[in-house]
Amino acid sequence: MSDLDAGQPGDVWSAGGKLPAVGQVDLGRVWLGVAAQVWRRRPGPVERLTGRLLRSPGLARALLTTPSLLVPWLIASVVVLGAGAAATLTTGEPLVALTAPAVAAAGIAYAYGPGIDPAWELSQSMAVSDRMVLLVRALAVFALNAALGLAASAASGTAAAVTFGWLVPMTAVCALALAAATLARSANVGVAAGLAGWLITVLSGQAADGRFSAAVTDSALVLPYLAFAACCGALVLHATRTPRGSS
Amino acid sequence: MNVEITDLTRRFGRTVAVAGVNLQTGPGVFGLLGPNGAGKTSLLRMMATVLPPTSGSLRLLDRDPVGYGPRKEIRRRLGYLPQALGYYPGFTVAEFVEYFALLKDMRPAQVPGAVAIAIERVSLGNKARAKLRTLSGGMLRRVGIAQAIVNEPELLLLDEPTAGLDPEQRVQFRALLRDLGNRATVIVSTHLVEDVGAACTEVALMNEGKIVFHGTPDELTVRGEGHGTGDAPLERGYSAVLAQARA
Repeated sequence: MSDLDAGQPGDVWSAGGKLPAVGQVDLGRVWLGVAAQVWRRRPGPVERLTGRLLRSPGLARALLTTPSLLVPWLIASVVVLGAGAAATLTTGEPLVALTAPAVAAAGIAYAYGPGIDPAWELSQSMAVSDRMVLLVRALAVFALNAALGLAASAASGTAAAVTFGWLVPMTAVCALALAAATLARSANVGVAAGLAGWLITVLSGQAADGRFSAAVTDSALVLPYLAFAACCGALVLHATRTPRGSS
Repeated sequence: MNVEITDLTRRFGRTVAVAGVNLQTGPGVFGLLGPNGAGKTSLLRMMATVLPPTSGSLRLLDRDPVGYGPRKEIRRRLGYLPQALGYYPGFTVAEFVEYFALLKDMRPAQVPGAVAIAIERVSLGNKARAKLRTLSGGMLRRVGIAQAIVNEPELLLLDEPTAGLDPEQRVQFRALLRDLGNRATVIVSTHLVEDVGAACTEVALMNEGKIVFHGTPDELTVRGEGHGTGDAPLERGYSAVLAQARA
């Protein structure tokens, strides 16, 4: 019996239903069984469900037990979307929505990477790959933003413009930030690339002649944004591939 | 052999951190000695599959870490303590060890018992539910060791494990190392010669990216006979080999 098996609760009492004599009790093993139960963390229903969906309790834990990374995302998304919707409804000028993707770009770049995630080095040596951890974090962020946007769109037609004018470009800019951060292994580079990408693709094209609003309301831009996001996704996959011929 | 390294090289720009290292080792405690900047950490990071080599070949636990499948299998059976352990300050000791047990793809049912054993092995039972932010440097180091051994690794890589430990804890840790070395290959990078003398069955000395000595601690001691530098016999051996390599 290995040490790990010996540490399983219940082992002490499983010897054919017979209790050992007092002198035969291995107190060390008993204590480990007790400690395992006392220190054990009971996963909540969301974590259990996520673990089943992802087929990995480790990934579920990575997704849900990094509140320091996810809570700022949640707050930032709700606040920016709310402010953007309110500003659009009252003024008709989606100026908040225009800058929202930059916030998202900074957020995702600062949610992952060496010097940002304290356990980055350790995570790199785990069986659950860091790319998967990164992907589930990104998935959480995008899914959350999409859900918020859809909810807002159902309530107001104007909010739909913010949703499609903001969420899609946000996805593109986040993908760029993520790709650059992963490629350069530096969150700072990711932020710079995200911001630069946003400035180049949006402002230079639409705002040079003073049409700031068109940058987020022109539906013709959705396809280029999506193509841009797809390219960035491909870049992430390429950058985190297994290095061939390196060993 | 659990570790088979052939002509392994790692460059960072124009700097050669590891220069054509050859090494083979099986179960036991292997000490990796050398001055600061000798290349110990880079070599250990390559063995931890965190850092890809520039050239050369590396086989761990009879697998080539270049392929995704073999690399994942290696990581399941690997324990790694980085030189600078990052941690999530809001986690408790038990949560931190459990988090990495899950990321090592351990079976969830096995995790609570394994966590209890790992925490007890580093004598942190009374701190199991304490937040990491409240622990001293030495205690954090022991938490790092606990996460490294939680999966009963067959290959355990420890980078400066005794940094921050008090003398009593170091003595206990050496006993733990000897115990682990009975079943696994334990590679300990350190610049504390006395740790090697007390716990290691084999030792290699690195200088400027190369292994300049490989043998037993007794053989290293013999190399120091007649050499003046160093308070203890093993230190004299260390100094003699380094002086010869530099000459």
